[in-house]
Amino acid sequence: MKTSLRRGRVFRLLASGAGAALLLSACMGGTTDDGKDAAVGYDPKANVEITWWTGQTEEQEKVAEQLAAEYHTAHPNVTIKVSPGAPTTDDLLTKLSAGFTAGSYPDVSYAYGNWAGDLGASGKTQDLTSYVNDPSFKWNEIPEAARLVATANGKVIGIPALVDNLALIYNKKLFDQAGLAYPTDNWSWDDFRAAAKKLTNTATKTYGTAFSVSGSEDTTWHLWPMLWQHGGKILDGTKPAFNSDAGVAALETLRQMAVDDKSMYLDQTDEKYGPLFNSGHVAMMLSGPWSLLDIKTAKLSYGVVNLPGYNGDHQTVSGPDLWVLFNHDDVNRAGASRDFVTWLTSAETDPKWNLAIGNLPLRSTEKDSPEFKKYVEEYPGGDKFFANLANAKQARPTAPGYEELSRNVGDAIAKVLQGQAQPKEALDEAAKKSADSIGS
Amino acid sequence: MAVTFAATPRAHPSTVPAKRGPRGRALRRGLTGWAFAGPATVIVVGLSIFPAVWAFFISRAKWNGIAPATMVGWGNYQKLLQDPDMIAATRHTLILTAIFVPGSIVLGILIAVALNQKIKLIGFYRTCIFVPYVASAAATGILANFVFNPQFGAANDILRTLGLPQSQFLENQHLAIYIICLILLWGEVGFTTVIYLAALQDIPRELVEAAVVDGASKWKVFRHVTLPELRPVTVFVAVWQTITAMQLFDLIYTTTRGGPLNSTQTVVYYIYELAFQTQRLGYGAAAAYLLFIVTMVLSLGVILYGRRRGSEVF
Repeated sequence: MKTSLRRGRVFRLLASGAGAALLLSACMGGTTDDGKDAAVGYDPKANVEITWWTGQTEEQEKVAEQLAAEYHTAHPNVTIKVSPGAPTTDDLLTKLSAGFTAGSYPDVSYAYGNWAGDLGASGKTQDLTSYVNDPSFKWNEIPEAARLVATANGKVIGIPALVDNLALIYNKKLFDQAGLAYPTDNWSWDDFRAAAKKLTNTATKTYGTAFSVSGSEDTTWHLWPMLWQHGGKILDGTKPAFNSDAGVAALETLRQMAVDDKSMYLDQTDEKYGPLFNSGHVAMMLSGPWSLLDIKTAKLSYGVVNLPGYNGDHQTVSGPDLWVLFNHDDVNRAGASRDFVTWLTSAETDPKWNLAIGNLPLRSTEKDSPEFKKYVEEYPGGDKFFANLANAKQARPTAPGYEELSRNVGDAIAKVLQGQAQPKEALDEAAKKSADSIGS
Repeated sequence: MAVTFAATPRAHPSTVPAKRGPRGRALRRGLTGWAFAGPATVIVVGLSIFPAVWAFFISRAKWNGIAPATMVGWGNYQKLLQDPDMIAATRHTLILTAIFVPGSIVLGILIAVALNQKIKLIGFYRTCIFVPYVASAAATGILANFVFNPQFGAANDILRTLGLPQSQFLENQHLAIYIICLILLWGEVGFTTVIYLAALQDIPRELVEAAVVDGASKWKVFRHVTLPELRPVTVFVAVWQTITAMQLFDLIYTTTRGGPLNSTQTVVYYIYELAFQTQRLGYGAAAAYLLFIVTMVLSLGVILYGRRRGSEVF
């Protein structure tokens, strides 16, 4: 009796284990793309309900809800369920991957540009390549760097939602106190280094500039424009190429400032250098338009110029975010979500979204809009960031595995800036560690 | 238990025909049992066992949560054993555990003995010691950031007043892990103190009085009566604090985020970074399983040791 009972229990355990294994391996699979357009035969009059994850916080979320309501009034057959999707934008990716497993993902979701490769590989996105290349979409009005990021593995998987870039923001008061001329659009990295050294004052705990050494993407992407200015590349095919002479030269400039001159505040968290700039302890910061709101709140007198350049090349990096469109095997939902996002990102609607919430305009044609004029009045320097979009000539890779590569490069930069390694050896090590990360 | 179940069929003798036999009764008994145990079982299976089993399958795949997974067998585990970052994370966790566990036990006993005296305002002192434990790790971390900020923090101000050299504290890669230990001890010592305080008050007075009558000094009473009586509690505290130290995450997240130069990256923080920062879910799950196995082996070891010494606490 006892043995048969035990045998039965073992059998049941095995059976349920095997069942779970089958179920689980099914969950971990993706969908293969059948190559068909998701919206073929779409009926614009059909009643549809689409889900929109905005990835926004409170204030911005309200604007999004207003826009969705406005769209519903104009198109009563389309109901849009708006929600932030996740508590923070960072959490959206986790929510999306859980949604893919559970089969309940949105039609449109906000996504960071560096997720594009992974999302594209999920097989759950729509292929918008031919759709956006229709002349009526005016795809070319959107900055090139943003268009590149929306393209994963040769397919357009979404429409840019936000564009930005890095420029040099400086504190005018600290320059006046040091008796230095303000930075210009034509500064070289040598000018930048010399000024940072003069602005550094240990007695008042003031630093010439700041750099994140947390090893995150914030650390890494500040190096890319310098690499590009020296003629280097991040990837060569799927192999890391950032450890070229160009990469070493770029990192050496930073190393001299951090280690030799000690004119660079090294931020272990990504979160301290902004507030330190705002409180007048950092004279120059390489940052984007998102910093303007806090600077304005701190009532700082500031200026914005191009990134310093190498040999007259002032390339910058852009970190565009996307509205990614997903495929639910329902032509009407696919079509309706395309129409909605096209409306949202059009030159008529975008000022009511991006400019209203303090971002740069998405399309070049918006620069004449009254909303843009108001934005520049409210955030001086906003026009500089807008013009600087033209300097964003290259994009970060959208291949799956970029996150891992970014982490390795970030660790290398952190090591070098804290005097624990030389640029060449650190970048070589990062390249070796990242050799298998991309595209596998 | 058995009485309850046996009573169920007997309560309605007329509705249960005798010909049903022992099989029907057993089935009914089984069903009654499951009706009680069912809801809890569903919760345990659904929320603990199922994810654990799933994590095991994920740990044998290369998967980022989005694109299709590739099964790699034991590849992730083999890679982990040679991963320099994993080895470094293990070393940091061991340093942390080796300092924190004995530290919190010794401090806990000392403070508990001090708080076990009959002095004025004893309730107030006891509360003071326990408050840091109640505070969330997030609050502790933010507070620590203020105190140990190298440029603007209070700790450096104190060093300056004493004429000592300034320190980088949490931003110095050789010092940061010890500062983390210090903050953790400050936060957790309230817990061990309360446990030991309760244990001290449980020691029978006769034992102490008998020792005193026999002419034992205060130290001898402590050494030969109090300490042996505290042994079962110590086994419990040791296991508990080891698990706390090995699973430390929140404090590191709110202070150093694993930095500077990954010098405070513990195993759990490394798992977080693998799974949620770089989306390497398979590799992260494998690391989590290794940690689970090590924690379990350690806990079992301590429990077996405790049983052999005759003090069963688990």
